[in-house]
Amino acid sequence: MSRGDERCAIVGSGLAALAGYAALRRGGVRPEEIVVFGTHDDPTEVWRTRAASIRQRRLRSESDGHLAAAAFPGLAVREALRRGTPAPLIASVANRYHPSVDAFVAHANALRARSGWEQSFRAQRIARIAPVAGGFELGGGTFAHVLVATGHPGLAKPPEFAGAVHAYEPHDYASRVAIVGAGMAAATEWLNALAAGSEVVSIRRREPLRRPLNVPRPFFSKRGLAAFHATPPERRAATLRELSTPSYPAGAAWDAPLDAAMADGRFRVVRLTSDASQTPQACEQVICATGFNQGWEQDPLLADLVERAGVATHAGWVALASDSTVPDLTDGARTLSLSGVAGQWAFPAADTIAGAKYAAHGFLRRACRTR
Amino acid sequence: MSYTLRGRVESRLASAVPALVVALALQRWWAIELVALMIVLGLVLDAAIYHRALAYQPGWLAVPLGALELGLVYGGIHVLGIMAPLRWAVALYAIAWLAAQLAGHAIFPRLRIGYAEDGGELGRFGAITAVAVCVTLVGGLGAARAVRPPTIHLHGTVQGPLVIRHAQTLVGGVVTGGILIRASHVTLRDVTVVGGENGIDIAHATHVMLENVRVVRASMDAIHVRDAGVMIDGCSIADPGGPWVQGVDISYSMGRPMSMVSGCTIAGVREGIVTHSAAVDVSRNRVLGATLRGIVLGEMSMDTATHNEIVGANGVGILCLDHSTCTIEHNTIAGTRVAPGGDLSRAGVAIEAHYFAQAQIAHNTVVASPGGIKAFDQSTILR
Repeated sequence: MSRGDERCAIVGSGLAALAGYAALRRGGVRPEEIVVFGTHDDPTEVWRTRAASIRQRRLRSESDGHLAAAAFPGLAVREALRRGTPAPLIASVANRYHPSVDAFVAHANALRARSGWEQSFRAQRIARIAPVAGGFELGGGTFAHVLVATGHPGLAKPPEFAGAVHAYEPHDYASRVAIVGAGMAAATEWLNALAAGSEVVSIRRREPLRRPLNVPRPFFSKRGLAAFHATPPERRAATLRELSTPSYPAGAAWDAPLDAAMADGRFRVVRLTSDASQTPQACEQVICATGFNQGWEQDPLLADLVERAGVATHAGWVALASDSTVPDLTDGARTLSLSGVAGQWAFPAADTIAGAKYAAHGFLRRACRTR
Repeated sequence: MSYTLRGRVESRLASAVPALVVALALQRWWAIELVALMIVLGLVLDAAIYHRALAYQPGWLAVPLGALELGLVYGGIHVLGIMAPLRWAVALYAIAWLAAQLAGHAIFPRLRIGYAEDGGELGRFGAITAVAVCVTLVGGLGAARAVRPPTIHLHGTVQGPLVIRHAQTLVGGVVTGGILIRASHVTLRDVTVVGGENGIDIAHATHVMLENVRVVRASMDAIHVRDAGVMIDGCSIADPGGPWVQGVDISYSMGRPMSMVSGCTIAGVREGIVTHSAAVDVSRNRVLGATLRGIVLGEMSMDTATHNEIVGANGVGILCLDHSTCTIEHNTIAGTRVAPGGDLSRAGVAIEAHYFAQAQIAHNTVVASPGGIKAFDQSTILR
């Protein structure tokens, strides 16, 4: 690889990074022009471990929830062709298609293999991105365009359950399990523990919302985003806080096992209060399905960037332009984009695959414009 | 998908290109008018209803919305008087709908990676395509209007025979003594013809349409077609002016575009519908009490007879005759009478192939016709 050709850097080597890489390749950027800095050469590794920990079998995403640059063919089309049946397509038309984890991982592996990812990957953790004239210094080189896709800044656990296992860490189930949280991971863990024969106590601060996706669908397109981008910062932050309320989809697949277990006395709900003594003491195991740490302060790379470069922030979010770029550090010659959860200021569902692709598309437009 | 209004408009216009291309290829004004109607209706619905009511549009909604728009287009065809054959109109609509689905779910998302994020907007390509579609449609509609034959409304009774030598549309009224059509692109709509040797006589013409015409008391043929391509829809023929009158006779028109006779009711004539050396689609007609034969597809014709009802013909219900190749399906032939004289080929035969003719038959219903289905003189019947 000629170091002189490198002009795009992707910091991070997870799913968002692969989505960004695929978009760049689709836009005609050659592998030798891209460096992917990361700690895992397999972009599915971290996500796969978490999915396996909560025994996740299907994604909440739908057919479009794949990493390839173009939306078509989606995962439903691929599965229909593979299985020789229109059933996935029919389910997809009714928004009832959810790809299996295995199918998604197979797709990601295939994309990784054909995209040239290996050629661009460099096993190196990036601790600092230093803005310089015409670009950014990182990893021993200077890059005109940098996409930060470092993912969630660690697993979140309430202080009162500091010793508990997190749902996204490998674990088994004791006979009496307390599960903290009320979102998708918590709901999955309720069913997992019940299926394993455990008695479950759901500990929650609030009742979960029931909605198909964690963000309403209009927020996935310009239609909803235009209004979101036009709102003042306080309102926008309030919207993001509201959207981060725990939720999981409605449907009998979730409700029926819980109702049955509740009737049998194997599932009950305890409202978490500030008084930790309210927590059931009889549980042998506490599992925190409480998601991830939130805010740029929790991410050392972003915290350093904000501190040193004076990047604008608002209430825990880096204040981004509508295309997920950092306005203070983006101009006609250079681009700094945030993908993944750090990009929520531009795209509320930034921590989804759709969000990763949204940031990637914005990044691609700028990277291609300056070729 | 959560469309923006611009996204809806651009996606609709760009995905209308295949239907527009088909309409242009058909070289029929009605096809251009129909595509324009579909697009205008769609755009009105987009702006007035869909954009407001559907913040998010799931994929399955394409089916009920497609049915709704089909109904509105059908109504629009009648209100605006677009002379589109129903089957072709539905086919063109189906092409447009399928093209829209294919474009919206596969082609646009494949070609434009931000298609969904952009709410269906297509960028510069969308704007250029939208303008091109609009310009083509406006140009097409303008040309259609500029060259459209004049429409003449007849009131009361007009003394004929009327000779038509220029393209025109004749609507309504009663003409006595017959009408002779000697020009292409002539339409008779809701006209009643009384008397005349041939009620309506068409020769050396194409694109002639007879819609809902009524012919009574003709003394030879009610509708007489020679060397011409005609579309006859919904005609009514009754009260013949003599024993030799035929209902519709289309002959010696092999060099002309295929003709069509559909939805006609013909009663009391010698032969209901007759073809000689022609290519004619005869469908959904009722022939009642023919004194010789119900339908004759004859003399090296290549015809189809489908979904017709022939009741009380004398001798033969449907006859495929003299080296003709006929497709005869889904017809109902009832009460075919045995003609006097002992000729087996006229012994109440419901469907007959005669003299080197070949008839492909399927799904016909034969009732009270003692001759059944038969082939004579080296003819074949394929089932």
